[in-house]
Amino acid sequence: MSTALVQELSFRERIAMLRATKMRHTEEKWREIGSLDMDDLPIMLPPPEMRKIVRIVSGSGIVISDALFSNFIPTSNHPSGGFFGARACGENFRALLDIHPPYVDPVSSLAGGYMASFLAYRDPAWNPDCDYAHLHAEQNLYKLHHGIGAVQHFCQDMTIGFRLGWNGLLDQIHRYRGVQRDDEAQELYDGLEQCVLGIQNWIERHAAAARTMAREEMRPELRKNLFELAEMNAALVTRPPVTFREACQWMLWYQLAAKMYNMSGSLGRIDQFLYPYFVADKERGILTDEEALFHLACYFIMDTSYTQLGGPDAEGNDTTNPLSFLVLEAAHLLKIPVNVGVSVGAHTDRRLLRRGVEILFEDKTGIPKFLGVDRTSEGFARNGYPIALGRERTYSGCHWCAIPGREYTVNDCVKINLPVLFDTALRDMMSDPALEKNTTVLWARFTHHLRRAVDVIAQSLDFHMDHMFQVYPELMLDLLCHGPIERGRDASHGGVEFYNLCVDAAGLATTADSFAAVEQRVDRERKITWVQLRQELDADWAGPAGERTRLMMKQIPRYGSGSSRADDYGKMIAGLFTTSVKAKPTPHGFNMIPGIFSWAANIVMGKDVGATPNGRHAQSPISHGPNPDPGFRKDAAPTALAITVAGIQPGYGNTAPMQIELDPGLSKNNEDIDKIVDLIITHFDLGGTQINMNILDKKAILEAHKDPSKYPDLVVRVTGFSAFFASLSPEMRQIVVDRIIAEG
Amino acid sequence: MPDEKPVPSMSSAGTVFHIQRFSIHDGPGIRTTVFLQGCALSCFWCHNPEGSTTHPVLQFYADRCTACGACVQACPHHAHEFRDDVHLFHRERCVTEGACVESCFSQALLLTGRSMTVAEVMAEVLQDTAFYERSGGGVTLSGGEPSLSSAFSGELLAQCKARGIHTAVETCGEAPWASLADLLPVTDLVMMDIKHMVPDRHRAATGKANDRILDNARRLAGTGKPIVFRTPVVPTVNDTEEQIADIAAFIRTLIDQRNGSAAPPADRAHIRYELLTFHRLASDKYRSLGREYRAATLEPLPKSRMQELADVAAHLGVDTAIR
Repeated sequence: MSTALVQELSFRERIAMLRATKMRHTEEKWREIGSLDMDDLPIMLPPPEMRKIVRIVSGSGIVISDALFSNFIPTSNHPSGGFFGARACGENFRALLDIHPPYVDPVSSLAGGYMASFLAYRDPAWNPDCDYAHLHAEQNLYKLHHGIGAVQHFCQDMTIGFRLGWNGLLDQIHRYRGVQRDDEAQELYDGLEQCVLGIQNWIERHAAAARTMAREEMRPELRKNLFELAEMNAALVTRPPVTFREACQWMLWYQLAAKMYNMSGSLGRIDQFLYPYFVADKERGILTDEEALFHLACYFIMDTSYTQLGGPDAEGNDTTNPLSFLVLEAAHLLKIPVNVGVSVGAHTDRRLLRRGVEILFEDKTGIPKFLGVDRTSEGFARNGYPIALGRERTYSGCHWCAIPGREYTVNDCVKINLPVLFDTALRDMMSDPALEKNTTVLWARFTHHLRRAVDVIAQSLDFHMDHMFQVYPELMLDLLCHGPIERGRDASHGGVEFYNLCVDAAGLATTADSFAAVEQRVDRERKITWVQLRQELDADWAGPAGERTRLMMKQIPRYGSGSSRADDYGKMIAGLFTTSVKAKPTPHGFNMIPGIFSWAANIVMGKDVGATPNGRHAQSPISHGPNPDPGFRKDAAPTALAITVAGIQPGYGNTAPMQIELDPGLSKNNEDIDKIVDLIITHFDLGGTQINMNILDKKAILEAHKDPSKYPDLVVRVTGFSAFFASLSPEMRQIVVDRIIAEG
Repeated sequence: MPDEKPVPSMSSAGTVFHIQRFSIHDGPGIRTTVFLQGCALSCFWCHNPEGSTTHPVLQFYADRCTACGACVQACPHHAHEFRDDVHLFHRERCVTEGACVESCFSQALLLTGRSMTVAEVMAEVLQDTAFYERSGGGVTLSGGEPSLSSAFSGELLAQCKARGIHTAVETCGEAPWASLADLLPVTDLVMMDIKHMVPDRHRAATGKANDRILDNARRLAGTGKPIVFRTPVVPTVNDTEEQIADIAAFIRTLIDQRNGSAAPPADRAHIRYELLTFHRLASDKYRSLGREYRAATLEPLPKSRMQELADVAAHLGVDTAIR
């Protein structure tokens, strides 16, 4: 082909090509490893000749399929066959990086892509020497997602890397190796050093690959791009980034390695820490908005991590800048599940919010989501911190925030399954002849079990904090935190400044509706006895009579209807949960912060619960986050939903996000967009903390549910994350379908 | 919720068939729309057939029935029967006491509306006060025809006004002027339908001629109230350029009349026009009411066609939007 005759590819064309490549990779994953009820990780499959498919437990505790390198077997340092501790983890991670082939797309302005999840090679994942059998009985009784072994779910400070570069980080490790001389510190330095060396080698091989490809590339603009990639990455092996493009590339290397190490998906305030590079390059005349947009799009193709746009600085002034808008436009251009959140507060820029809502309706990908930054920072201050620190806390995960580089959180990893506690309380009441049978007694037993569950969580968290560094330390996140290198301590073991451990409740609506149902139907109306109810639950409402009873229990004024008993119970349960978590720190003194959020785990958590008196069938999913169940009102009013969710907020800085599905037909003109904007702002005025908003085209969703492969591009917001609809399990797809059917 | 001050006149009752919160296409801002039963017209395409009668009637959704038989036991008038496992509803025997509805947990049997006091409606309406304030929204009375329940409507609107809530009324216009005029002091915005300019065609489509509606429209324009005239654009009824131009020309005369009036400019509030898109979402409701849905075979107009019609009205100098 004669290159002279071919018109140069535009940035937009190159983005379309990158997107097509990503879709090819994604569809290949669907074929090879099946459904995945979690974030759209841009991980690619290893080349077929190096590929092996396995089942693993994800960072958030769900079992997923994964593809491994068949030519990598980690070296064990323990009789169990596992590898544990900083040194073994670092050495093995480096070994994995060493066999990881380079990935360079000549169309992209950034090099790199990842094909391995290091977590998948841990077998066993937990060191059996760190035994917590003493906690098993109650952990199992309450089916707790107790957090022992939880990884990542806090946020690095990217500016550390931008300042030091990989050689600078090595220098830090070497310097402090001479200062902190105890065994724990020395082992950590060994692990960290191996990670950096492995990454440097990996980058270097990309530079070499890009150079080789450049020599063979026929298209002049791509040949030029490949030479630039080679040169830039050869430099970034050692020195810090200088330009905007280099900063994007450095960030990508870090994030790819962090994702590979333990699925870390936090990114934080990208519009702030990239901004100095953006401004400097523009002043020097070496960057246009279009180029910046292109680099950002190239970045998001490879990493869709959680990002906050705008929001307050330490004094509360809004930080929205031109880059905030460009990041939003990059997500808009790609229409893939980029996890972008737009800040909404008293002083934030309404134009950014408005643009976000426009994009939401135009793209129908559930992107962006909306962050009640005033409520979360004020709430965080209620833990005894200055409000300025609360404002520094950054949206960087599904429903959560963390102070970049300074806070360890186990966010979104610890879940209390409220319906299990309800069921335990009901069984207690029914089996104890000394107890009267009524809703008051049931509430008392529920209170007892909820408090006990929180105590067990607190003990579990202490155990985790005592041992995690010996099992699987946070090597990648440690590199970009303030303290781990300086102190010689893993972030999970004293390396950082603040410890605020997240404890979430799940299944609020299921539980509130169950309380209201028994109060109305059993206590007040006496339509069924407690014994009959227990029998129906145990039989999972079997037979026509059971079905009629089920419908009777379900047809009560529900949580979310407004001013109902179920609404009262929703508030009472949220209040009880919050006061129980805030009553005291863990026995070892760690602060815990309550939130209400199930993530996508409401499916697996539902499998732990039999039928419940709200008419729910055994093993079916529990309610999602703090949301009412679908069908909570005839009009499905978003305002009623917004008031309900705003009214049950724990209020200590962690969130109870509102999940809301809207019909595309709602927005017919600019006036309608403003009404949606006002809905969002008012939810936060009333106390709400986060909004996950979906614009769901009913027809497309129903058709895609029948045959997802026909709609590979369809993106929905599942919960705190968005995902390709076709990536989801049939159960999760059904949950999305139920939401729109109920809301007509 | 704001303080419940003891305000007189909260006791009137109206038959309400639906309260829609977060209603965003029935006036400015985020609104709550209260739908009242009873209408003077009988438009064959009506999207709210359950609101056409002044009293509640029974809706039967056969596909939701679980055949539990409870309704057979509950109804003393033998309106429900199971024959060969098929649920037969004898509407002619139904006296709408609602005992069967109470017994039906699968929501196969519903009453279209229920009697509510002004106080009960206000309790629901006030829940969204924060949203009205933020968005410049408020409360809209719709139906059915709100002016048919003028005492209830007047009290409800007065209660809203007393709390500083913006009020709007959607009317088909077929009502004595006095009952509409009674509502005006407590109404900030009137939305009135004009469905056709030719009396016979209007009667064929809605059951009544249009003389009173047009007369009310003229009187309304004379009051200086903000008005939105609306036309549900229905294929075979009023979907031609000529028909829309006729209506728009009429509205244009009202605009000219108002602009030429001696009233100070502040009182010459805006008159706008909206074309409403026909849809067939009501077919299930007709089935549940045992009524024939005569619009079932009509094809909804595409957006582009609606835009062409809106352009016709706009060319006549009428501020026109599509809903």
